[in-house]
Order: sequence, then C-alpha cells, then structure tokens
Amino acid sequence: MEINEKMIRQIIGDVLKDFQFGDKSETPKAVEVKGGELTITEKGIAGMGTKRDEVVIALAPAFGKFQTQTIVNIPHNEVLREIIAGIEEEGLSYRIIRVTKSSDVAFVAHEAAKLSGSGIGIGIQSKGTTVIHQKDLAPLSNLELFPQAPLLDLETFRAIGKNAAKYAKGESPNPVPVRNDQMARPKFQAKAALLHIKETEHVVLNSKSVELEVSFS
Amino acid sequence: MKSKRFQVLAERDVNKDGFVSEWPEVGLVAMNSPNDPTPSIKIANGKVVELDGVKREDFDMIDQFIADYAINLDSAEKVMAMDSLELAKMLVDVNVGREVIVELTTAMTPAKIVEVVSSMNVVEMMMALQKTRARKTPSNQCHVTNVKDHPVQIAADAAESAIRGFDEQETTVGIVRYAPFNALSLLVGAQVGRGGVLTQCAVEEATELLLGMRGLTAYAETVSVYGTEPVFVDGDDTPWSKAFLASAYASRGLKMRFTSGTGAEVQMGYAEGKSMLYLEAKCIYITKGAGVQGLQNGSISCIGVPGAVPSGIRAVLAENLITTMLDMEVASGNDQTFSHSPIRRTARTLMQMLPGTDFIFSGYSATPNYDNMFAGSNFDAEDYDDYNIIQRDLKVDGGLRPVLEEEVVKVRNKAARVLQGVFAELGLPEITDEEVEAATYAHGSKDMPNRNVVEDLKAAEEMMQKGITGVDVIKALSKRGFDDVAESLLNLMKQRVSGDYLHTSAILDKDFNVISAVNDVNDYKGPGTGYRMSDERWEEIKNIPNALRPEDIK
Repeated sequence: MEINEKMIRQIIGDVLKDFQFGDKSETPKAVEVKGGELTITEKGIAGMGTKRDEVVIALAPAFGKFQTQTIVNIPHNEVLREIIAGIEEEGLSYRIIRVTKSSDVAFVAHEAAKLSGSGIGIGIQSKGTTVIHQKDLAPLSNLELFPQAPLLDLETFRAIGKNAAKYAKGESPNPVPVRNDQMARPKFQAKAALLHIKETEHVVLNSKSVELEVSFS
Repeated sequence: MKSKRFQVLAERDVNKDGFVSEWPEVGLVAMNSPNDPTPSIKIANGKVVELDGVKREDFDMIDQFIADYAINLDSAEKVMAMDSLELAKMLVDVNVGREVIVELTTAMTPAKIVEVVSSMNVVEMMMALQKTRARKTPSNQCHVTNVKDHPVQIAADAAESAIRGFDEQETTVGIVRYAPFNALSLLVGAQVGRGGVLTQCAVEEATELLLGMRGLTAYAETVSVYGTEPVFVDGDDTPWSKAFLASAYASRGLKMRFTSGTGAEVQMGYAEGKSMLYLEAKCIYITKGAGVQGLQNGSISCIGVPGAVPSGIRAVLAENLITTMLDMEVASGNDQTFSHSPIRRTARTLMQMLPGTDFIFSGYSATPNYDNMFAGSNFDAEDYDDYNIIQRDLKVDGGLRPVLEEEVVKVRNKAARVLQGVFAELGLPEITDEEVEAATYAHGSKDMPNRNVVEDLKAAEEMMQKGITGVDVIKALSKRGFDDVAESLLNLMKQRVSGDYLHTSAILDKDFNVISAVNDVNDYKGPGTGYRMSDERWEEIKNIPNALRPEDIK
C-alpha cells in the first residue's frame, strides 16, 4: 500500500514539474549565477501566498541594500541566485520579501514561512546566517539551521534552496549535511557582532514586510 | 617585513584570534563604560522609585522586574550607602564569612555590585569566589554531542564522561528534529556510566520543557535571559515569561537554571551603549528576581565578544563572582572556543578552576571539538590528560579523574549495548552490532558509520507523538535485562517527587544522595577551611597512568 502511494506521489510530482516548466523547454539544470549586479525593487506590502508550490525567501533588513556580501565576502547576488536555482531545480517558484521588523534570523525566516503558500520559508541575514523554517513551528525552532555563516558556500546555499523546495512539496529530504568549525567563533565572532549591529540599525519595529522584485544584470 | 622575529610572531596561534578596539557607543567595552549608570536607590512606601539613576516612570521591563523582585529592600539603603571599596575588601577578607557577605550583596543594585567588583583584580576576585560559591565541593559539566547526532556515540561518550567525573552532562543537536533521540541517548548512557548523573538537552524553550516533562532529561539550563529589552524580545520572551517557564519546570520537580553572558547584547545588536558587565549584572538580577536557583554564565556563546576587548576575560570572572554574590549556583562557562592559543585558553580557565565553582566548566567537550555542536568548547576530549595533570600539578580539584583505557572501553561498550536494547524495545530504528563496536572504540563521529537520518527523524517524531516517557525507558531497560541501569533511571526520576535536588547547586552522588548548598555549606574562611581535598580524592588525582613508579624500575 505504502509503496503504491509513494509511487503515485512521485508520478504526480513529476507531472506537475513538467507543467511548471511551460515557459522553459528543457528540464532544469544548473543555473548560471556568477557575477552581475543585484537590482531590488520594492513592490509594496508582502501578502499571503496563494500557491502551494512556492518558497518564500526573506531577506534581513540590510541584505543587498546596506550590506552586499556575507561574512566571508560572498556577494549577496550570488547567494540569492544559488538559493533561487535550488528552488527552481525542484520545480517550484519563489517570492522574495524583506523583513524589517527584526534582524533575528529565526523571526525573519518565520515571517517568510507564515506568508508562504507552502508554509515553508527561508531567512537570510546579511552576514549569511540562514534558516529553513515552517509556519507551524515555534519561532525559535526550525526545520534546518545554518548557524556558522563562515562555512556557508555557494554549493550549500544551492542545497538550502533545494531542500526548502522539497519540504514545500511535502517530501522528507536528507537534511543538508551539518558542518562545524570550532575555530569559526574565535576567528569571526567579533566581525559577526559588528555586521549584526550594522544590520540591526535598519530594523523598524512593528513594520510590515515588503515584497521585492529582484533582477540580476 | 624585515624582522624575522616579527615574522615568527605573526604566525603564532594567538594572532589568529579576533581583537577589536573599545567602542563604548555600541557596547563594545567589557567594563566601566562612560554610559554605565551611577549606583543609586530610592525607596518609597516599600517600593523602589529610582534604580541606578532611572526613575520608575522611565523603567523598562527589565528595570521593573529587578526593582520589584530582585533586591532585598530591607537593608538596601544601608548597604548602598556603604563604601564600595570597603565592601570589596570584605569580599577578599578571609575572616568575613559567606553568610555575612550574602546579607550585604543581595541588598545591592546592579550598578553597585558592579562597582564593588570593578575595584578588584583577578586574584582578589578568585579569593572572593572561593568563599562565595554556594556549594562547598566544586563540580564539573560536559557537552556530549556529535556532528551526525549519532545516538550510539552519544551514549558511549556519556558513559565515559560519567566515569571521568562529570556530574552534569549537556547535549544539543545539529538537526532540531533529532532532539528526542539525543536526550534519550544521553540519559541512558550517563546512567550506565554512573547512576545519578544529571542530563539536559539544549534546544528551543518549548521543546526543552516538553522533553523534561516527558522524563527524557533531568534538568534544564539554556533558559536564556538578556540585559536589554529589545534583545529580550528577539529572544521571544520577557522576564515574566521566563519566570513562568522556570515555574513550569519547578511544577514538574525538575532542576533548572537560567543562562546569560557578557557580550550577548552586543552580539544581538542592542547594547544601548552600556558595558558588557553591567548588562550581564542585570541578567543575574533577573535570575534572582525570578526565584531561580542558579545561572550559567561566563559569556558562554558570546565569549568571542568580551574576548576581543581589553579586560574581557576579567569581566567574565567578575560575572561568575556576581552570580555567587547573589547566593546562586554558578555554572561558570569555559564551554566555548574563543582562542586558537592553548596558552590563552588555559589562562581563561584557571580563573574558575583555581578558586573552584559549582560547575567549573558549564560544558567541557567530552568529544573532540569537531563534534562539539555548540561550535567548539574551550577544552575538549583531547585535553583530558592536560587537565588531569594540572589538577595534579597544583593540587586543585577540577572535578575530573584519570581513567584507564580498559575501564573506558568497557563502559562505552556497555552503554552502546544498553542503548541498542532500549531502541529495540521501543521500536526505534535498529542499532547494529557494527555501531556498538564502532562506538566502543570511537574517538569521534569520523569513526562512526552513518545512520538513516530520515528514518531516525521520523521515528523521533513518532516517539514524541506516542507519548514515550522516562518510565517507558525504565521498563525497556528492565525488559532487556539491564536492571541496574533501570534502577538508576528510576531513582533519577524519583528526584522529581522528592524535590530535594531543586535546592541551590544540587548534584547527586552515586548513591543518589543530594549534595547541595544546603547540606554542603561553603564555610571557607582561609587556609585549612572550606573545601579541602580528601586523602582519597588526592590519591585519585595523583595516580595518572603514565607516572613512573619507583618500584617498577629494575
């Protein structure tokens, strides 16, 4: 019984994937993300998602605007493009919002999840710390947490996008492999504090999240 | 660069660490910020109407909580009028006992207690700490985690840590959904090592409380409080909601403490221009006001922040001292990497190891640091022999003992087999003989086979949905023939009913006697008094396996 149900789910999933790629003629493959500048346009207050096949990406207050690279100098446009590519590879669509009421990565991600049609959201701070969240979890809980920003490379951001999309589809993916560097704190904590202070300067208490249109030129 | 000496120095470990200049406007200053308040108190009709220069109508929620709950107002005006230097001298003076000190210190305001302590150098602070810690006998806590959240490795490491001498053990997760398995594995493994070891699982607050209520942990620690209002809000709580959480634990008979630490407010972006130590003092007072018995502090996860500024490590010692001055248990940090330099790491730890605290480490890594899921501890499993030898060099009780390879292998193997039986009995995903063998001899997760993570996460969720409790674990242990471990776990759970281990600084010995500040009173008053190592304990510490014995030389 279970096996049949699994097969049926998989077939439906595959068929849906084909439908979503109405505009694109080929099956998804690696999306080029190198270089180019990030243009962010604010489109007004972010609303609830109506489609179940979306992941919402929430940017912390300064991301791509007042800071442009992570704590290990990965440009924000490349981070975003990798996450988007991961989501698209799984056949889902994305929305990007900016959260300004808090700079806390868990609250930023939870906002995304609450506004997401699938209930799945990703939150990213300017320094790179990232969370995959789900709307029914406690704000300081998460599906997957990436607390050591210096360890986050482009490959990991792509995997984060992919896993978020898989959760959105109701799958149970293998979590992105957990990485740990015991010397990240001695090396980076002071810098992380400075970057977070600078992010937090742009918090506007009780403000509503804004929907963004993002283009890479 | 022309100087060869400077080239060599540039490559030293210590120069890989992060250092910043003081920036008082954002709170990047350890002590004595120009923005720190002057101590003051005004009481009218039994209520505080001004606290450290702030009038009641200008109180934020932290000021109000402290003013209304955290200060002994009966003697506050008298103590606040006393000279802070005189008070500091009393702290250092061996002839002034703890019982006298605590009457005075619990009547001070945060700015006053900081002023008193700020006049002391680290030697004076250590002298004071020796006297003011709550429990006479020092103890130690370890971290038991790994990067794979591998349950069998956790159980084996827990058992080894228990025989090495840790009285409390803490786990956490790489993946949140593994929490029930990590808690269970730690609980079982620790009791295999020694009945009476207390275990906790550090996760999000509601999850942690639930695990405790289910009997899968024996205490909680990472119930966090913060020194400024916006940071507290980002922590999703208020002092009142944290106090409520504390009483939720108490209502189930569970031991708990709060956690705070210098640098957190800077790290989280809202230090309001105050010094790290002043803001941490407010956290210590919140803990006192909530009626909580103890506090984990010593910067903890933010240690890189005070560690980056001048007098930061001195401030870290000061916050441990202030905690004891408010008559609470202190689990005194040393649990997070802050330096590449072994020399710097040791200097930092001596501040608590030499005087002794309730828990010298609030998280010595019982695994190699690559497996420490708190992102690395100040000391790890590869430092065990160094630590034991420092105990022997200085005749200091740091809470640990040397062990033999045979006894470690034996207890690790037993823990792995016991957990294998428990998993089978509870219908959890199989633990293979291969995993048992690997855990017996493993140093870290690189020596362990992988498990099916998705299957484990699903089973962990089902285990919680089914309502599995510590009592089910006791039954499972007994059914599989591990009656000794079953009895230990039963005795551990009985503590929730008797309530004795809710006292300040409570630990359990191997016979499940409670040892706490109440029955192990710190009566230090100079040489020959207070905690003095027993002959038996000294023999244990002296007896390192690789010491040459005269009788062996032929």
